[in-house]
Amino acid sequence: MGQVTLTDVRKVFGAFTALEGLNIDIAEGEFVALLGPSGCGKSTTLRMLAGLDFPTAGTISIGGRVVNDVPPGKRDIAMVFQSYALYPHMTVAENIAYPLKKRGMPKAERTAAVQKAAATLQLEPLLDRKPRQLSGGQQQRVALGRALVREPKVFLLDEPLSNLDAKLRSYMRAELIELHRRIGKTMVYVTHDQLEAMTMADRIAVMHGGRLQQFDTPAAVYDRPANRFVAGFIGTPSMNLVEGAVRDGTFVFAGQALPLPKDRFGDVPEGPAVLGLRPEDIRLEQGPLQGTLRLVENSGHEQIVTVEVPGGTRLLVRAEAGRPLSMGQSATLAVETARLHLFAPGETGARLGRDPGGAVVEMAPRQSGGAS
Amino acid sequence: MTAKAHTAPALERGYARLGVLLIAPVIVVFSLVIVYPLLAAIYLSLFQIYTPTLQGSFVGVDNYMDLLTRRAFWSSLWVTLVWTFGTLSLQIVCGVGVALLLHQNLWFRSLARSLVLFPYFLSTVVAVLVWRWLFNDLYGALNHGLMQIGLIDMPVDWLGSMPNAMIGIILVGAWKYFPFVVIAVLARLQTIPEHLYEAAKIDGAGPIARFWDVTLPQLRSVLTVIILLRAIWDFKEFDLIYLLTGGGPVTSTQTLALLVYQEAFALNEMGRAAAYSVGMMLVMLVFMIVYVRHSGREG
Repeated sequence: MGQVTLTDVRKVFGAFTALEGLNIDIAEGEFVALLGPSGCGKSTTLRMLAGLDFPTAGTISIGGRVVNDVPPGKRDIAMVFQSYALYPHMTVAENIAYPLKKRGMPKAERTAAVQKAAATLQLEPLLDRKPRQLSGGQQQRVALGRALVREPKVFLLDEPLSNLDAKLRSYMRAELIELHRRIGKTMVYVTHDQLEAMTMADRIAVMHGGRLQQFDTPAAVYDRPANRFVAGFIGTPSMNLVEGAVRDGTFVFAGQALPLPKDRFGDVPEGPAVLGLRPEDIRLEQGPLQGTLRLVENSGHEQIVTVEVPGGTRLLVRAEAGRPLSMGQSATLAVETARLHLFAPGETGARLGRDPGGAVVEMAPRQSGGAS
Repeated sequence: MTAKAHTAPALERGYARLGVLLIAPVIVVFSLVIVYPLLAAIYLSLFQIYTPTLQGSFVGVDNYMDLLTRRAFWSSLWVTLVWTFGTLSLQIVCGVGVALLLHQNLWFRSLARSLVLFPYFLSTVVAVLVWRWLFNDLYGALNHGLMQIGLIDMPVDWLGSMPNAMIGIILVGAWKYFPFVVIAVLARLQTIPEHLYEAAKIDGAGPIARFWDVTLPQLRSVLTVIILLRAIWDFKEFDLIYLLTGGGPVTSTQTLALLVYQEAFALNEMGRAAAYSVGMMLVMLVFMIVYVRHSGREG
């Protein structure tokens, strides 16, 4: 009932193309995050699902029904806005009851439904208050309540946590995961925060420049990024991306040569390429690369070290906490070659080579055994 | 420690002195143009005064007793209330309607937004001359037009008979002052968050429900202020009515402001006129107290 399908969706605002050839298939009960930097088209996508914007071309269907011409109120969706969009003159109870009232539900049933939603979200003591008397987190819960009470097929959430402070955000994140598990409804969640996407979603649609870059499980997006953009966007600190060239089975950059595993990169043609290395896949150990420590950032549970290799390239390296490291110190770097990535040059250069163990990138979740 | 304890109050006293100094000019002007005339009016109302010579004798509260027993005061009060209520209602309805229209994305929006202010900026004398010409029963464009389309057979005496004269001043008043409502409401409309309308759409509210459930509640506080201010201004309106009907036919459109003028300068009863104006002020005080309490609560 709650599957959502976008087919060849295109959206043009005047001379600006916001979305191009978007194809997304969301299964019933799935939690999908639309993730990308601002202007990537994620909010436009959500607004078109809601019926607040209309696609220039392509079809949108919800629950198997094409909804291109269906007004928002009749799409069987509920939306939670970044600004919560609570009606300021109504009490919490009236806010939650409003969508039911507009659908002509009798008052007694309405009150019962409001009570139920309020119980789910622990809003009972607040029912008689006005939105301005509530904290940000409480307003957020009221907005969720207004969405919940209708029992829609699909929930649309537009950066619902971005107005909350960090502590409350992580608390609400856990609440939302729990809520999704309990009600099992399809949820489409727009965010620019990769941590939210990684921790909450079943699948992440990474978007950039109006195009879908990758649509896969959080693990796959992290371990097997489909292109250079996804590689650089997902992960904190972000993946080291080094421009260079493939030559004689090695990756050559700034006069250094890093041997490439034959089984994965044997068929990659020689020529310019981009090397991708996650900070945790480089170690300050005996290895093929030489460098000098330029910056050590200790965050308590780990240290992020900026290492400059000859030629001026800087690499971020994750090191364990407590290890004595100081700026200016020279070091050698070992690289987990099984976990390195190669991309074609260009901003969205495609992933090159074979995946660890010869697997092809696909939608199935990563096996727990992991690489090779 | 002690030095600090001494300097802080000294600094504060300095700021307080500066504050008094800065508001002093306003207080002086306010006293000259508002407090003095107000006190003078109350003082005058205790005398019987012949306007041309300003000679008079103390009569105590006789003018007030007179006011309470004279039909002229009560009928003028009634006329004032009818005029205020009529023209204010029209101003609000037309003002909100036009503001909603101009808030839409129309291609002529910016032009229309400037044009709508025209009646408000036009001098009352000029506006009234034009309207008297339109209303004229011999050569008026209004009668001519209505006869052309066959709605009336004979020219109607718009300003010389009742209830036409009252309807006439109410209409012209509404025409003259509705732009004020448009400006204030339009400014508020532009600050209503778009998300509220989007949430209402998703909640299944149609255009009419969105007006009642989102727009109107958001306009509530600005409408309260507009209604109170316009009620005060309409209540004491003088030039528009005086120029349009002169209070006639007979005294059918003679509001309190016109009555005060007539007492003071036609009947040369300055003392009684002052008493009437104090009575008028007491009625307006009701609006004013509501307004002050409202703005205090908003703050």
